[in-house]
Parts: sequence; C-alpha cells; structure tokens
Amino acid sequence: MISFSQVTKRYPGGHEALSSVNLTIEQGELVFLIGHSGAGKSTLLKLIAAIERPTSGALTVSGQNISRLSHRAVPYLRRNIGLVFQDHKLLFDRNVIENVVLPLDIAGFDRREALKRARAVIDKVGLLNREKANPISLSGGEQQRLCIARALVSRPALLLADEPTGNLDAGYAADIMAMFRDFHQVGTTLVIATHDDRAITALGGRILRLEHGKVEEVTA
Amino acid sequence: MISWMRHQKHALTSALRRLRAQPVATLLTALAMGVAISLPSGLYLMLDNLNRLAGDLPAQPEISLFLDAGISPAQNQAIAARLKQPDIAQARHVPKDEALAALSSAQDLSDITAGLTENPLPDAWVVRPKAHTREELTRISEILEKLPGVAETHLDSQWAERLQAALGIGRTGVWMLAGLFAIALVAISGNAIRAQVLVRRDEIQVSRLIGATDRYIRRPFIYLGALQGLLGGLAAGGVLALAGWQLQPPVEHLANLYGSAFRLLPPSSSEIAVVLGLTTLFGWLGAWISVTRALRQVESTR
Repeated sequence: MISFSQVTKRYPGGHEALSSVNLTIEQGELVFLIGHSGAGKSTLLKLIAAIERPTSGALTVSGQNISRLSHRAVPYLRRNIGLVFQDHKLLFDRNVIENVVLPLDIAGFDRREALKRARAVIDKVGLLNREKANPISLSGGEQQRLCIARALVSRPALLLADEPTGNLDAGYAADIMAMFRDFHQVGTTLVIATHDDRAITALGGRILRLEHGKVEEVTA
Repeated sequence: MISWMRHQKHALTSALRRLRAQPVATLLTALAMGVAISLPSGLYLMLDNLNRLAGDLPAQPEISLFLDAGISPAQNQAIAARLKQPDIAQARHVPKDEALAALSSAQDLSDITAGLTENPLPDAWVVRPKAHTREELTRISEILEKLPGVAETHLDSQWAERLQAALGIGRTGVWMLAGLFAIALVAISGNAIRAQVLVRRDEIQVSRLIGATDRYIRRPFIYLGALQGLLGGLAAGGVLALAGWQLQPPVEHLANLYGSAFRLLPPSSSEIAVVLGLTTLFGWLGAWISVTRALRQVESTR
C-alpha cells in the first residue's frame, strides 16, 4: 500500500525532517507513529498525501510514484485517502452535513446519494442529531468526529490522522480511538500520528517511533 | 458526462448562492459594470438613431447636368450616349417644361411662373453615378461638364455625404470606446472575483486537501464572474432605458418643431442579446484570469 525507499525530506532552509527512511505499510494495517513534536510525524503523513514531495528517494502510495506524480493527478490520489487533522479544518460557513458531503460533491456524486451516505457516516460518528448545526457550535470532540466523518464519507482505503486526539480529554480520545479500531476491523488502512500513549496500548497495532528523521519499529 | 453536468449545476447554484449572500456588493459591482457598458452602448444607440434620421435624406449623390439653350440634336444624342456608359447608374432627362411645371407646383410659385413670358430654365439631366467617393464624383462631374452642349454641372448632396463621414468617425469611436470599456469590464470582474477567492481561501485549501481539482475550485468563481457580467449588462440596459425615457419627450418636441415624425427607437432584441452576451463573456474572462492567478498564489502560500 505504502512504501518508502531511502526517502529524505529537507525543507527550504536546510532542516531535514526525514533522513533516508525505509518503510513499508501493507493494506489493512493499523500503524501508530509516535515521537516528540518536530520528529517528522506530520512530514511523513504529508508525503503520503502528496501535500509535500520527497527531496530524494522513492515513495509509492497505492501503486503511484509520489515523487513523479503530476500536479493534475494529485486530486485523484487524495480522493482515495481520508485525512484527519488536529485542527479539524472544518468550514464554518456551512452546516455539519454540508461539511461531510463536500468530498462527494467534489467527486461528482449524485446529490441525493451523497446526502444519504453523508447521513450514514454522521450517524456512525454519533452526530446525527447535530446534522443541521454549524460546526462552530460543536465541542472539540464533536468537531474531531465531524472531521473523521468527512474523511470517511468517500470510503477511502487509507486513512491518515495527524494527532487526532491531540486537543481532547481522555474520554473523547478513547471514543475516537475506538472508532478507529472499528474502521481497522472493516479493512481500512490507518496511519495515526500521536503522542497519546494511553490510546495506543488499548488498540494494539504496529508502532513506529520517529526520532531525528529516522524510523524505528517499537515492539510492545 | 453526468458528473460533469452535476459539477456545472453545483457550480452554478453555488455561484448564485454567493451572489445572493452579498446583495450590496453584487449590486455595486453590477452598477459599476452597468455604467461602464452604458457609455459605448448609449453612444451606439445615439448614432443608430442619427443614422436613421440621415437615412431619410438623399445620401446617394447626384449630379445635375444643365444644357446650353442652343444645343444641337447631335450634341443631345452624344450626351445621352455618354450617360449610358457603365460608370453611370441612372440618368433621367428633365425637359425645361417639366422642370418649370415641377417648380410651379412644388414650391407654390405659380404666381411668379405664370408671369413669365418664356421658360428661363434649361433642359437638364439628373445623373446618379455608380461611384461614391468624393474624388470619383468630382472626376465624373468634370468629364460631363466638358461635353459639348453642357453649360454647367452641379454635384448635389454634399452635406449628406459629410454627415455620413461624421457618422463614420462616430462609429469608429464607438468601437474604440467599446474596446476600452470591455477592458474595464474584465478588470472590474477580475477584481470582484479576486476578493471572493481571498475570502474563500480556507474553503479552497480544504477542498484541495480532499481531492478537488483546480477546475472544480475554479468553476463556481467563473460562473460568478459570468453572472456578475450578465447583471452588469442588465444594469446598463436599465441605465439606457432610463436615459431614453428622459430624452424621448424633448426629442419628440424638437422633431415636431421641424415637422418631422422622428422618434427615438430602442435597441432591437438581437442588439440587446449581443450586449448581454458580451458582458457575460467579459465577466467570465475577467473571472478566469483572476481566479487562475489567485489560485496560484493560494497554492504557493500553502
């Protein structure tokens, strides 16, 4: 599904976020990225979603070479990837269901079919009674669940989450992690960057530690 | 194909929603465009009406050929033969008796003509050459004047010709103005859309992250520009209708003073359609340029 081979990412200014990373993630895996902030977790996720391009090395995602991916092909790659952000990146000029339906609109779905699917996903994350609410009126945990609903509505094979529980208290964080476990069980590949040790032990899965731009496997 | 249609519909409804969400900004932009468009189209209408007024006058230049009183039948035949040549479109012989009769009845001068012991008018030809340019007409007039038996030639309709020339300049001016204001229209539309893109920065960035193509992002803005241009065209129509409504009574009054039935005519529906089409097109163009540029900026500051 994802394969890094000698991937280096250097930002303008010389900071090397990733140094010669070798890594393979199979389809259906649940992977946690841990490490202190600035260790390169976000960079790794951004490379997978083609938000950043590797400075050198080969990176393939779903059979596509990210280093050589044309600007025009990027949107189609991203439609197969669900992204969950720490800051949610919700749109506050529209209600909950319109936020969730956006990826389906972009993909050109029939409006009625799109609304049906969006409602199903909103139900799954437990926000069905807030369907018409503006996201700004939601709590932090609810906003995060809304962000997850938007990431999942197009049924991506791969879900990338960057600190999904970063700003949440323990109760909400456990909820969200339980949700991720459910997606893992139906076959979605998940890569979750977190520093939240509580969650990891509860879920099992593969753990990768990032330190100074290097990746190492952590055996529990 | 179906999803393409869906995208178009989605972009159109989203553009309409944005227009409705900011009625004041929409109205102001439409007014700015409307005023800009109403100048060249108003001038065009004015020229159109003047042209109609001038069209009632003999714009076709004519040469009058007055013959010597003692002209011989041979000379008469030679002149008639010359006037059958291909550079002459039409020639009409006016015998002096007919001319006198026309003068008496037309100008109501029967009292004066009745007192004449003999007809003072010469025989004449009224000649309409094929040529239209001033030089050609003068040349033909000079040739005819040198024919034996011709006393004098007279080139008519000079002022109608001058009016046509002036209208020609006016028409060129309309096109130049129209070109300038088309550029202004593109600039107004581009500016309005640029502001829209900046306001919607977050939406653009999020849409990109979840797989929107540039075309998808651009589309609602381009529809917005086209709709804005259409509204501008309608606003121009409103401005001109208002101006026409104000001008009609004084123009009618003036025409009545000259004993003319001249009235201002509104533009034809096809002219209106062309103006609306062009404003829509230029609104679209401005939006396209602006959004393409702005998207590049949003991308580089990701």
